[in-house]
Amino acid sequence: MRNYFRELCVLAALFLMLILLAIFAPNFFELQPLQSRLTAAAPKLLLACGVALVIVAREIDISIGSLFALAGSGAAMAAAAGLSFPAAVAVALIIGLAGGAINGALVAGLRLPSIVVTLATMVIWREGLRLGQQGVFINLPPGTQWFGLSMAAGQGVVCGIAFGTLLLLALATRHLAAGRFIYAVGSDDEAARLAGISPRITRFFVFLLMGFLAGMGAVLNMVQSPQVDPNSGRGLELEAIAAAVVGGVAVTGGRGRLWGVLAGLLLLLCIGPALTYAGVRPYWEKAIQGGIILAAVVADGLRRQR
Amino acid sequence: MNLPSPHPSQTRSGVRWYLRHETLLAVLVLVEILIFASLGRRFGTADNAANIVRHSVEIGLLALVMTPIILTGGIDLSVGSVLGLCAVLFGKLWRDAGFPPWLAGVATIGIGSLCGAFNALLIARFRLPPLIVTLGTFSLFRGLAEAVTQGVDAFTNFPESFLFLGGGQLAGLPTQAWILVIAAVGLWITVHRMTFGRSLRTIGFSPEGARFAGLPVERRLVTCYVLAGAVAGVAALTYTARFGTAKADAGMGYELFAITGVVLGGTRILGGVGTIHGTLLGVAAVAILANGLTRVPSLMNIAGELSGMLTGIVLVLALAAGLVPSMIAARRPAPRDSLSTRNSTTTPSA
Amino acid sequence: MKRTLPLLFLVCLGLITGCSKSDSSSSSPAAGEAITVALMPKSKGNAYFVSCREGSEAAAKDLGVELIFDGPTTPDPARQNEIIENWITLGVNVIAVACENRDGISTALRKARQKGIRVVTYDSDAAPDAREFFVNQATPEGIGYGLMDEAARLMGGEGEFAIITASLTAANMNEWQKHIEARRASKHPGLKMVALRPCDDLKDKAQAEATTLMSAHPNLKLIMAICSPAVPGAAEAVKQAGKAGKVQVIGLGLPSENKGYVKEGITQSVILWKTTDLGYLTVEAAVAVARSQLRPGATSFSSRRVGEVQVQGDQILLGKPFVFNKDNIEGFNF
Repeated sequence: MRNYFRELCVLAALFLMLILLAIFAPNFFELQPLQSRLTAAAPKLLLACGVALVIVAREIDISIGSLFALAGSGAAMAAAAGLSFPAAVAVALIIGLAGGAINGALVAGLRLPSIVVTLATMVIWREGLRLGQQGVFINLPPGTQWFGLSMAAGQGVVCGIAFGTLLLLALATRHLAAGRFIYAVGSDDEAARLAGISPRITRFFVFLLMGFLAGMGAVLNMVQSPQVDPNSGRGLELEAIAAAVVGGVAVTGGRGRLWGVLAGLLLLLCIGPALTYAGVRPYWEKAIQGGIILAAVVADGLRRQR
Repeated sequence: MNLPSPHPSQTRSGVRWYLRHETLLAVLVLVEILIFASLGRRFGTADNAANIVRHSVEIGLLALVMTPIILTGGIDLSVGSVLGLCAVLFGKLWRDAGFPPWLAGVATIGIGSLCGAFNALLIARFRLPPLIVTLGTFSLFRGLAEAVTQGVDAFTNFPESFLFLGGGQLAGLPTQAWILVIAAVGLWITVHRMTFGRSLRTIGFSPEGARFAGLPVERRLVTCYVLAGAVAGVAALTYTARFGTAKADAGMGYELFAITGVVLGGTRILGGVGTIHGTLLGVAAVAILANGLTRVPSLMNIAGELSGMLTGIVLVLALAAGLVPSMIAARRPAPRDSLSTRNSTTTPSA
Repeated sequence: MKRTLPLLFLVCLGLITGCSKSDSSSSSPAAGEAITVALMPKSKGNAYFVSCREGSEAAAKDLGVELIFDGPTTPDPARQNEIIENWITLGVNVIAVACENRDGISTALRKARQKGIRVVTYDSDAAPDAREFFVNQATPEGIGYGLMDEAARLMGGEGEFAIITASLTAANMNEWQKHIEARRASKHPGLKMVALRPCDDLKDKAQAEATTLMSAHPNLKLIMAICSPAVPGAAEAVKQAGKAGKVQVIGLGLPSENKGYVKEGITQSVILWKTTDLGYLTVEAAVAVARSQLRPGATSFSSRRVGEVQVQGDQILLGKPFVFNKDNIEGFNF
């Protein structure tokens, strides 16, 4: 029980939030907006899971928002140029994997600090995309939206893929040796090495996985609308990192659970709508978000000191 | 982020001066200047040099105070937001509370220090990771700036005497450049000539070790973060004076520019290694690149995007170049010093 | 310090050689000499200004002038000032700028005028004494009143509406909101603005905001999106909510981004001027000012592409904003 304390705290906060919403804004639970909201959260969930694992491995990746935009725009351009939908998906995933591999090679291969490497790749992808696309929306060919299915089915597929991935990753990190490696490397490099785990290869694969998830998130985002905004994903890295931290992932590495990340993400995503339902003017939103992140870390710190 | 840090590496302090990071960076700055002077249009004029200085004072100040923080192995993502909050509160004090500009300025620096003290409280007292604490205050302070002004309110029509700080010249240099010079000299002496600076490096290499050695780790950290807040307050003043307007969006994204300058300047992001003059060179390299590209005729239309991309590439290259001396050192016969031989066996996984 | 001295020496050497190589000839434009026009958008990476740029490049080609197009990569008002100060020392002949922050940028523009550089503004104005002419595609008043009147027409004079804006700090949007509110109070008291939400200039966020707005305010009849990515974002939200026809969408946006939704009847109307014409006219006016063909007191200006346009005081009027709707949107491709 004590092991889950941190996650249970987030869950409790989330439920408190939902109860408050149920009392003061029952409309929040109307089926349709809830569906739309969950579908829109699906790509973010993938990125948050990825970055959570990166943090568990005691690294960080702030290039994911840019990579997300690059993968989404690349796939959209491929689709607009007449490639089939599966080919466009492949383009997004390849761009994601390539971006992840570059980060991974620089961080794990050359042992450069991840925050600086990903700061650099963040700027390079973002400005490169701006140079190429100038912020002009890319219109997708008809039939791309919702995978060519009906809207409800499409939303189901998007959510299904995201939650399925979350489940898979959560199980893999609990029960597969490769998943445990990430935690081992994050807790203690040296011990992991002595146990026969290669920290470098593990870290490389964590970044690769991150890139793949960014590409996948871009696909799930692309199918939700008939056009892709090349500016999308701006600030997404901070949202994802905040979700991971609020969800109980320790930035000192080696600790965190993906279902906690889900709770953290949902909690943060509730704040904006809650303010709208409450009719509060939006000026305080950023400050409140910062406050919640701080509350989460302070809670962490107090728990550790006990 | 918080990888186990190797001990003071023989790789840096023992490297010949022409292989040191700062030297290479100085050469880079020099090459940039020569390239832009020959390709660019009116790059090397005194006016343009003044422009470069004027435009990089705020980022320079933030990078300077970020250096000691990163030396301790910390980071401060909130400096840009502190700048924004200070700018609007300065405007509010001057316009709404009727403070004279100098008094409002002093109060603003005080507010900046308070913001820094809040970071310091969480980081040093509760021993929380600086990256996440300042990620939280990054949103918090910017959010407060927006809340105070409702996002809309902009402060303008400051008196000429105040605007002189941002637009005037004093003894041949832009006025605010003197602030940068004073800050740089002060910090250089503190970091490189006083035990204070040495203690920061020690903390960066090993906070636990520093504690066992009897260093007041918490007090040192508090000093660094409060100083960062105070100087962000000063930067808010020069920003407002240069721009003539204070609004809640002031200084957005400056934290990343500052970190870029520091890291490019050779400071190790994990702490322990770094110099103030390196940071200055790093900021200069980025500023000259951004300015120079706008002056090369064939690149003028894509200067903004290109300077961002090139900065990123240079950043990665600079980090990679930092590996070269250690590779060279590795090829040499093993040093006799027992400490460093022990290090070389314990650090390969770092 | 011993070790740093050679560095300092190197840098100083560089500065000296760098300086001595350049000539410092004056920047005042001589008659007959090639003219350099520097055009600044509010930010790069914004489709609106991309189409302005197309028009301006066509004009530069037609008139045989050199065009520089640069601006901040994010809407950063301080960066706009820095670029203008760079252009001053670069020695351009005319600066044409779309101002992100009216008071902030005027400082830099006045400095440019003192150095003999001619200044015009377009899209959004600076302080009147900081520029010679403003190429006015629509006044904030015109935009605000136009949007409000269109909303009132669609809503039948009563009901709730909400606004989605780019950010809480965007100066021009705050200006429009002021006029929207003024018009509502004076002409359409039956309407009620229930919420104002920022979308950070992102389509996806605008969609999320619109979804929440519709559910938080079940009686909402109309969403007014006043930044261009928000219009398709709000339309997609309405479509997903299945409220097409019940909640109407209007806004300021590019026809190319909204065609689908307008044809489906989700977005009722998109208001915009012909942005390529705006770019073209701006460069033409800038060149005419630099060649002293356009002087204060002129009442009209003849453009090669746009035709004869009106000049009122120091404002060159592009003409009325254009309302794109189901019937006419097919013909526009910007």
